[in-house]
Amino acid sequence: MEAREQNLLRSVLENTWRFYVWVGFLIAVLLWGLYAYIQQLRDGLIVTGMRDQISWGLYITNFVFFIGISHAGTLISAILRVTDTAWRTPITRMAEAITVFALCIGGPMVMIDMGRPDRMLNLFRYGRIQSPIIWDVLGVSTYLTGCILYFYIPMIPDLAFLAEQPRLASWRRRLYSTLAIGWTGTPQQKALLEKAISFMAIFIIPLAVSVHTVVSWIFAMTLRPGWNSSIFGPYFVIGAIYSGTAGVIFSMYVLRRVFHLQDYVEELHFRKLGLLLLAFSLMYLYFNINEYLTAGYKLEGSERMLMQRLFVGDYAVLFWVAQSVCVFIPAVLMIAVLGLKRYHRYTIPGVVLSSALVIVGAWAKRYIIVVPTLRSPYLPSGQRLPWEWTHYHPTWVEWSITAAAVAGFCLIYTLMVKLFPIVSIWETREQPQEVAVSELPDESVPSRWWKPGDVFPILAVAALLLCGRSANAAGPAKPKTPKPTAITVEWKTVPAPQPSRESAADESTPLLPRARVFMYTGRLFTVETSPDDPAEGSLKPSSPVAVTATLRDSTGAPISFKPVEFSAKTPLGTLVFGSRPTLADGKAQLVIKDHRYGTYPVQAVFRGDDEYAPATFNVPVDFGVRPAPSLPRAGVLITPYATPYIAAPFLLFYGAMWVAFIYAFGYLILWKMRKLSPEASVAHVKTAPAVSGA
Amino acid sequence: MAAGVAWKASVSKVFREVLPSRSLAPGNQKWVMVIDLAKCDGCRDCTKACTAMHFVPPMQEWIKVFEITDNEAAGPYFLPRPCMQCDNPPCVRGCPVGATYKRTDGVVIQDDDRCIGCRNCIAQCPYSARSFNWGEPPHTHEELARPYNVEYNYPHRKGTVEKCIFCPEHLRMGKLPACAATCKMGAIYFGDKFDDAVTNGKGETIQFTKIAKRGASFRLMEELGTEPSVYYLPPASRKYPSPDEKAQTETAQAAMPGMEH
Repeated sequence: MEAREQNLLRSVLENTWRFYVWVGFLIAVLLWGLYAYIQQLRDGLIVTGMRDQISWGLYITNFVFFIGISHAGTLISAILRVTDTAWRTPITRMAEAITVFALCIGGPMVMIDMGRPDRMLNLFRYGRIQSPIIWDVLGVSTYLTGCILYFYIPMIPDLAFLAEQPRLASWRRRLYSTLAIGWTGTPQQKALLEKAISFMAIFIIPLAVSVHTVVSWIFAMTLRPGWNSSIFGPYFVIGAIYSGTAGVIFSMYVLRRVFHLQDYVEELHFRKLGLLLLAFSLMYLYFNINEYLTAGYKLEGSERMLMQRLFVGDYAVLFWVAQSVCVFIPAVLMIAVLGLKRYHRYTIPGVVLSSALVIVGAWAKRYIIVVPTLRSPYLPSGQRLPWEWTHYHPTWVEWSITAAAVAGFCLIYTLMVKLFPIVSIWETREQPQEVAVSELPDESVPSRWWKPGDVFPILAVAALLLCGRSANAAGPAKPKTPKPTAITVEWKTVPAPQPSRESAADESTPLLPRARVFMYTGRLFTVETSPDDPAEGSLKPSSPVAVTATLRDSTGAPISFKPVEFSAKTPLGTLVFGSRPTLADGKAQLVIKDHRYGTYPVQAVFRGDDEYAPATFNVPVDFGVRPAPSLPRAGVLITPYATPYIAAPFLLFYGAMWVAFIYAFGYLILWKMRKLSPEASVAHVKTAPAVSGA
Repeated sequence: MAAGVAWKASVSKVFREVLPSRSLAPGNQKWVMVIDLAKCDGCRDCTKACTAMHFVPPMQEWIKVFEITDNEAAGPYFLPRPCMQCDNPPCVRGCPVGATYKRTDGVVIQDDDRCIGCRNCIAQCPYSARSFNWGEPPHTHEELARPYNVEYNYPHRKGTVEKCIFCPEHLRMGKLPACAATCKMGAIYFGDKFDDAVTNGKGETIQFTKIAKRGASFRLMEELGTEPSVYYLPPASRKYPSPDEKAQTETAQAAMPGMEH
């Protein structure tokens, strides 16, 4: 037992020259990436290969990739904990560590992609809950907090153990004892810790699923061909868990090699996780077929170009290589080493090779999801633009920052492995030496991984354009020579009121009980605010206006059967209505039934003819009250304020997560467990003096 | 009943209905644009006028004229594409900080004082109507002479998104937007939906609601539900030489001086 623990502690206690070389190399790459980023900050994103048409590239690919890698860690460890799988103990910490560090790298990738990182705080000052970006901010930050807690809480006993190691530097021991928050290992403390861990494990599963779903929604909430897909949530979640599992296996292998953890990480673990990876690969294959066959079979208008690009066009090589490397080859390889007895002895290399392929392939797959879609917009937006503006080729800056991201991930991982034991000491101590390999259904993919079905109805209320009709007449006969007869034109406006609408009748009749219910519940689930809300959707047709022109000569006698032209002056132009002949009484009437609101000068013109001189008359005509300023009803989510049915589910879900964190960590660990600690009073004087007295 | 009222009051306190001043337009209008594709001969004067007026940085075109070939039999036609000023704008939906927002006069405004450059709106816009200042845009003195305002959207700034905004500055002055005022063919009509009249650069005014009936107008990608404010009249019976004819005459003209020499 003791020898085993000493071996585990070696990773924390000893540094070889290789460690320094490795860290030095990583820091060099990181500094190079930093140099590239400074270039980008100085010159703007012009130093990247991204342009207006393909406006997201490697950075977003990296973001999705790292968030994906982060998934399995926690998810695997949480599921294995919840199902209380015995063999999990040596690998859970590794898995959780991957999650935390991948998130630490993935999150900033979006900031690097931003054009104005200096305005980052705007996300908090002006954040709109309707935006998928804000969902991501909410989701990823919650998830990161949860994962840090979930990484930290099970480590507390080990930290207490490390704090007592005399071989460590004093600052490290102080750090460990601070972080151990008074852990002494009493049964009550242990019970509390177990409770907190299992509580966190249960909550972290839906959280992990939600986070990658939300990441996929950045794409799925657009109208782009290839992204506009309802399968994207589960597709991304499975892809994330798949790549994450591969990440766990690969890191397991590396750590096993470097720190000689053969006692802990056995072939059994590779076998079990390999089966899990195989199951995920088949699921991912299924999702891929589902995604691409449905689009590729129909070749629907906007998606045709994209599908042709992917299957046979300029992205075909990348597409098929990525699919092979990501899904086909690993699946075949794993079926061989895990399924065929003859190849059993190659289990570890086979599974590790598969997972390495999966990691690389998953990255390429993210690229395939992000870039070709942007390359295939609805309109040929690349017309008359230079080649570089329509094709995406990542520049050295992007590659450097990508390399720095990978190096950063490795560096954090390396340093954390040095700082904290990567295999749980206290959990493996409890475990019997011979691992019971009894439970077989390890690869059973829990059926509870369902997509959070928060499907929000987007109500598109079409603005009604009611048909208007304006009376028309044949063109006027033009006069030849004017005669010196004086003529005046008179005007009368006769607004004919519309027959009262049903809504008016509705208001007078008492509301039915059912209508009453809708009056209150409907407020939450629809955009309707009140029945007489002057939004555009409820625009009342303006009342028709009858304009009568009276044409008389100088004696006052009506002039009959002459054309009078009518026109209205609008702020930008003059709308000609055509002409009407005067009748026997000298009156020409025009009924205007246009959808017009406000007051306009209407002009009646008599052009004059052989007998009579021309005449003009202007009169302001009131066409009805303009509707009050409002935003269009059709845009449900464009309101400047939070929209209830978008805000509520997100805030409730992530709020519940925060409550769970506060309960598990704040209450159970920080408050209750500390109170139990007899040393608390000694180590931390400021906590609860009452307890120290007792 | 009382609970219902209280609930309603509390809900409306959280989810406010009063519009903030930045979304209120100076007047009570609803701007629409009608583009007659039968008249557009692809001269791109609109683009040039827009670029000159807004000092649009190079490689950006706020109103872009596409040459569209839907199918061989129908033949190519020109399609000027300003921002559609959608009534259900995907860009506004997706903007995390409200840097782009819908004004009550229907204009989708872009506030580059607030834009963080995440380019989600570019991904969201199906019309590719938005462009990004990838580097520091080249500046002129006239451009820098005025302080930034959302109504003309310059001086341009690195790392922010820009787009057509229907020239609100012109509209305030009772003028047509630059593109409509410039179009020699009179293909671009512009006006207030509540006036029910749209006017083109040649001073021709037509009744807006009448085009729905007579001209069989359509909006671009209606099936996406974005409810654009830009209407198109179909490119039927063109009033200009077809691109093929134009190319032929151009080559003929180009060949002529060559023969003289």
